[in-house]
Amino acid sequence: MSGDPAVDDLVAALGEALAPDRVRHDGAERALLSRDASVFEGGVAGPVCFPVSTSEVQAIMRIAAAGGHNVVPRGAGTGLAGGAIPLGAPIVVSTTRMNRILDVDVDDRIAWVEPGVVNLDLSRHLGPLGFHFAPDPSSQQVCTIGGNVANNSGGPHCLAEGVTNAHVRAIEVVLPDGEVAMLGGLDAEPLGYDLRGVFVGGEGTLGIATRIAVTITPNPPAVRTLLLSFAEVVDAANTVSAVIAAGCVPAAMEVMDQRITVAVERYVGAGYPTDAAAVLLAEVDGLAHGVDHDAETIATIGRANGATDVRLAANDDERALLWKGRKTAFGAIAQIAPDYYLHDTVVPRSKLADVLEQVYAIADRHELLVMNVFHAGDGNLHPLLIFDAREPGVLERVHLAGAEIITASLDAGGVLSGEHGIGVEKQQYMDRLFTDDDLDHQDRLRRAFDPTCRANPGKVLPVGHSCADIQSLRAVPTGVWG
Amino acid sequence: MDLGLASDDLDKCVQCGLCLSSCPTYRVTGDETMSPRGRIALMRHVQHRGAPLTAEVVDAFETCIQCRGCEPACPSSVPYGHLIEQTRSVLVASGASTPWWQRLAFRQLARPRLLRAGTTVLALAQRAHLVPQRLGLPARLPLRRDPHVVSGRDVYLFTGCVMDAWQRDVHHAAARVLEAAGCGVTPTGDAAPCCGALQAHAGLLDETRRLARRMIEQLEPDVPIVVDSAGCGAAMKDYGRLLDTDEGRAFAERVVDVHEFLAPILDRLPTVDPLDLRVAVQDPCHLRHVQRVHGATRTVLAPFVRELVELDDDGLCCGAGGAYSVLHPALAGTVRSRKLAAITRASADVVASANPGCTMHLAAGGCATLHPIELIDRALSEERAPGRPPRRSRRRSSRG
Repeated sequence: MSGDPAVDDLVAALGEALAPDRVRHDGAERALLSRDASVFEGGVAGPVCFPVSTSEVQAIMRIAAAGGHNVVPRGAGTGLAGGAIPLGAPIVVSTTRMNRILDVDVDDRIAWVEPGVVNLDLSRHLGPLGFHFAPDPSSQQVCTIGGNVANNSGGPHCLAEGVTNAHVRAIEVVLPDGEVAMLGGLDAEPLGYDLRGVFVGGEGTLGIATRIAVTITPNPPAVRTLLLSFAEVVDAANTVSAVIAAGCVPAAMEVMDQRITVAVERYVGAGYPTDAAAVLLAEVDGLAHGVDHDAETIATIGRANGATDVRLAANDDERALLWKGRKTAFGAIAQIAPDYYLHDTVVPRSKLADVLEQVYAIADRHELLVMNVFHAGDGNLHPLLIFDAREPGVLERVHLAGAEIITASLDAGGVLSGEHGIGVEKQQYMDRLFTDDDLDHQDRLRRAFDPTCRANPGKVLPVGHSCADIQSLRAVPTGVWG
Repeated sequence: MDLGLASDDLDKCVQCGLCLSSCPTYRVTGDETMSPRGRIALMRHVQHRGAPLTAEVVDAFETCIQCRGCEPACPSSVPYGHLIEQTRSVLVASGASTPWWQRLAFRQLARPRLLRAGTTVLALAQRAHLVPQRLGLPARLPLRRDPHVVSGRDVYLFTGCVMDAWQRDVHHAAARVLEAAGCGVTPTGDAAPCCGALQAHAGLLDETRRLARRMIEQLEPDVPIVVDSAGCGAAMKDYGRLLDTDEGRAFAERVVDVHEFLAPILDRLPTVDPLDLRVAVQDPCHLRHVQRVHGATRTVLAPFVRELVELDDDGLCCGAGGAYSVLHPALAGTVRSRKLAAITRASADVVASANPGCTMHLAAGGCATLHPIELIDRALSEERAPGRPPRRSRRRSSRG
């Protein structure tokens, strides 16, 4: 009982539509679901629902529409841009119980999954069949396919394979009015406008995906993983640019600077060189002869650009350990300081070295520690500002430095986000990348799906171009845990 | 409310969420309050922000199985096990958790004669069909137990509480295997009746400390203490931290899991024909996530069976959790269903698991489970006297 009869009625109605034990409105649940993996606070969750079917999601949407309530979908809550943070006490729809792999068709290379399926679980399931799901975000062991679709997530191996958008064929969506629509189709070239493409990366502002048809990718016959060490970060960045310029597109190319390498090595003990200023983790896959050739090309280009050491992973175990290090890099920094702010911008590959130098200079100017770990092949930077939030004034410096990093990336011809999304993090920077006209048209597109602006309101589009009154969403009601 | 948690430990969690999939209760509920990240956030809310200790908060803490599968998954090395143990102990002290009847029950674990008498009563009741199956007891508790035998003083074999009353055959098997490797074995018997692991999980840390001190006093120094129960071994290896004394640390150094002990001296065991079995290894959490010596189980078992097969669930907990399966039967059952599905996928003849709680919990779910040491013992026995268990020379009987 919340003390507010309207809220109690809402909770009761949701409980009746689902099951009373799959709708929660207690302080503990609401406090936890007010956050995701980002640094953003100020979220307030309303009733939290755990639907198990499309019809239950429909029921939630209809109840919300009838009462004029907002709805925010949530997967594993590993987002870093605050996309799943509930603003203004909306109904939170957790997709974690919709976690069945419905069908796998290896002939047509399609898998139908529910949105709560964990990314790595899908690849594990496909493994014995000789397939995997190509997008592999660093959080793949926990993040959900639904979340990947919402954020159009990338990952180290998206360099050659493309990000989530390239691997989604069709999406069953519950629209904000409760209607179900099928976007896209299993044909290679479905007729009509590509509404599937609009939905991917929609960050929950267009509706909730309830079934997703993804393309499954055959496992490569051979893989080679190289670890190159450099005395300068810039040399690593230049190597990446030169490899692609030479016509070789590896499966993945990832750079980590020395600070992050030291933290990671302490956790995984993968044999990362802790004395190198930067390491480049490169992977090539394909036919055996081809991968040997590509590996040699990368090694040669690396040496020409100043690589001090080139190591080839001897076996699958060594390879797995190197990747474990790369993929847990963000979590490992707590060994250095308790808080981090992970940025996500993309710059042209040729500008990587230049922007990196600016990032280090910006952090120095604000007396902040910065670490760099990034999807170098895509020009996707992930500067990691590290701090202790208990230190007075530090959060302001972090935000200032973040703004300057974004400006530097945009000035270099880059974009706001590579894969984390806009969420609440980059909203206020949207007008630096888009004109007022652009943003108004984006708002119109959004309203075509959600005319009353109740699906994840207050995200993506900035104040003035969003149908939601963002300020009122940020007001914190009483009776909510601090 | 002060939960007595070190801020440094709490602050290590950067809420990245990489732990979520390795948490059995999150896996089956998809609910953040049932996850390590969520539980740590609740500890912060209670300790730092004065959030009330509501029924839901207590439930979030109590439903943790304490498998500690989240620890190896955590890149920031948050000492989750210690955080939840300390939280539970404050809940107990404040009366919010573990009611008096549970505390009374936990206290009986250190009373071996009572435990054995109770077991005999239960075993008789079972045979009269008076014990409902849903209690999850082993299908047939033993009516009587062969006495422990001292064969030398090279190693202690820790025999413990419930395991000694219910699964003494496993200890006998362990003793035979150790002797086959040339070690004289002294079973600890009633001299060290209980390690205190279950009490620690329930937040009764003072009781665990009392039992730890008693064990350290009772056992002679310098003799390695071999343990064939993963949960007990993990608890005893933690005595140094628990007691924070030199004696505690020295004792903990001597504690060794039976597989960990045998792995480097495997060549001392006779070469025998392997059992014609495909064996799935189900790692007890406290062997894999806490002691982290589960590799030794494979090393030791491999030569004695036709084939070892891994489960494909990354060492997710089976839901046993010491007394957890009794206190939270519904959730423990759901977690077990997930494990049983993984076991089915492995299509093995038999499952090997080195912890009494896990073997009982899985057996109650209809899955035949043996201790790895029983399989090794069987392979060695068949070689020595086909169809008959081997005889051992008896020097003198120990108590118990």
